Amino acid sequence: MATSQYDTIFQQIEVLLQEHAQLQVPIQDDTDLINDLGFDSLKLMEMLEDVEDIFDITYPLNDLANLHTVKDFVLQIQQITGGE
Amino acid sequence: MGLLDKLVTIATTRETLLPEGIDPFNVVIEEIYSSTEGQIDGQRVILAGTNNYLGLTFHPSCIEAARKTLLEEGTGTTGSRMANGTFSGHSALEKELALFYGCQSAIVFSTGFVTNLGAISSLAGPGDVIVLDADSHASIYDACRMSGAEMIRFRHNNMVDLEKKLRRLGEKSTNALIIVEGIYSMLGDCAPLAEIAALKEKYGAWLMVDEAHSMGVLGKHGRGLAEAVGVEQDVDFTVGTFSKSLGAVGGYCVSTHPELDLLRYTCRSYVFTASPSPSTISSVREALRVVSSQPQLRTKLWENVEQLYRGLEQSGFELGPDPSPIVAIRLPTKEKALFAWKAILEKGIYVNLVFPPAAPAGLFLLRCSISAAHTPEQISYILKTFAELKPMMTAAT
Ligand SMILES: Cc1ncc(COP(=O)(O)O)c(C=O)c1O
Repeated sequence: MATSQYDTIFQQIEVLLQEHAQLQVPIQDDTDLINDLGFDSLKLMEMLEDVEDIFDITYPLNDLANLHTVKDFVLQIQQITGGE
Repeated sequence: MGLLDKLVTIATTRETLLPEGIDPFNVVIEEIYSSTEGQIDGQRVILAGTNNYLGLTFHPSCIEAARKTLLEEGTGTTGSRMANGTFSGHSALEKELALFYGCQSAIVFSTGFVTNLGAISSLAGPGDVIVLDADSHASIYDACRMSGAEMIRFRHNNMVDLEKKLRRLGEKSTNALIIVEGIYSMLGDCAPLAEIAALKEKYGAWLMVDEAHSMGVLGKHGRGLAEAVGVEQDVDFTVGTFSKSLGAVGGYCVSTHPELDLLRYTCRSYVFTASPSPSTISSVREALRVVSSQPQLRTKLWENVEQLYRGLEQSGFELGPDPSPIVAIRLPTKEKALFAWKAILEKGIYVNLVFPPAAPAGLFLLRCSISAAHTPEQISYILKTFAELKPMMTAAT
């Protein structure tokens, strides 16, 4: 159950990341948002606004400190949306 | 990897961006002649980027007040407000600020930046929520991080987003501090404060307004945006600075809540830094009197704003959304903005060059700030120069 929820979020995030990333690389769990996808603070904020709209959530800025990889991101969204 | 290695990227950026000539981010004002003129790079220039909205840096009575105190009380307090750094002037200024705002309490800090650091990080803590406008000043962002509170950003001036975020908080909204600015420092636009105040009421939240750029500028008595839109009773905490309309350096927080006074024991940036010098405090006290007693300065300021904003608009520049003493010209690229900044300086006009992340939304800005002290002739010269340089500034490369 938890895995499939993870996968659903992952798929939605994958599209968003590809849309906003500066660098086009395959998106995997351990892909780093800054080093691999080239996000800067401005691009990151734009992408977070889309994430907030799509998932109808508020992403607290405090979570940015622990956001490095795609996996971190999916788990954070899972937690905010109330998943396991 | 060495400690300094991370600075290599900054050095590279600096070299590519600023191959030669004057560094726009390290300008030296070699001589200062008045609140609107100085010398930069050996040349006499009009200062049109100094936040000196009322031109009070050279106001004779402010200078005289500072000079008198300098002779009587010396050059500095050499201590923090909590120890030996509160002279009678500091206390008097706090009473005068409280009276000016019709508030119970006021606290004077050493700068506006440390006012935000201290006040915000003391008022909100773990378990609380701060809901801040995306375009907030760096000092507000840093303060939020220091506070340990949950930090939520709403899209700049977007009331739908603010309401969504307050609604999602549920019961926690009564522990939420909404932070906005009166006039935003980069684009010069105002917060929709009446709507923000209504949302604050609806969700039982708290409201802080940073009037750094609006104090002395807006409102019948110069108290800022909250006065101008008639919502002062809804603002829990007002913060501001002495470094803009008041022409000196320092900061303040005022509140209708008498508990504000307790922040003197908790704000690290109040306890652990030296207080403003006594002469600074005297010039600020005098400047506050000028703000109250000379509303004609505000009238003059807004006449100048109209002249500059409308003139630049007529020349076809893309500006910030509202006329305000901050007039930001948007340029298409970093290179164009840098080129334009230098060309303008060579013609004898100093404005601010602002790049992201200091500029919002990835914009490249020539940020002008206008003063009541600018003459119509100075503004005409600024307009003429910008109009002449426009083809070069905006043409595609
Ligand atoms: C909105 C805002 N708050 C606070 C500050 C800090 O003021 P000070 O220069 O007194 O540190 C500034 C100054 O740039 C500002 O624009």
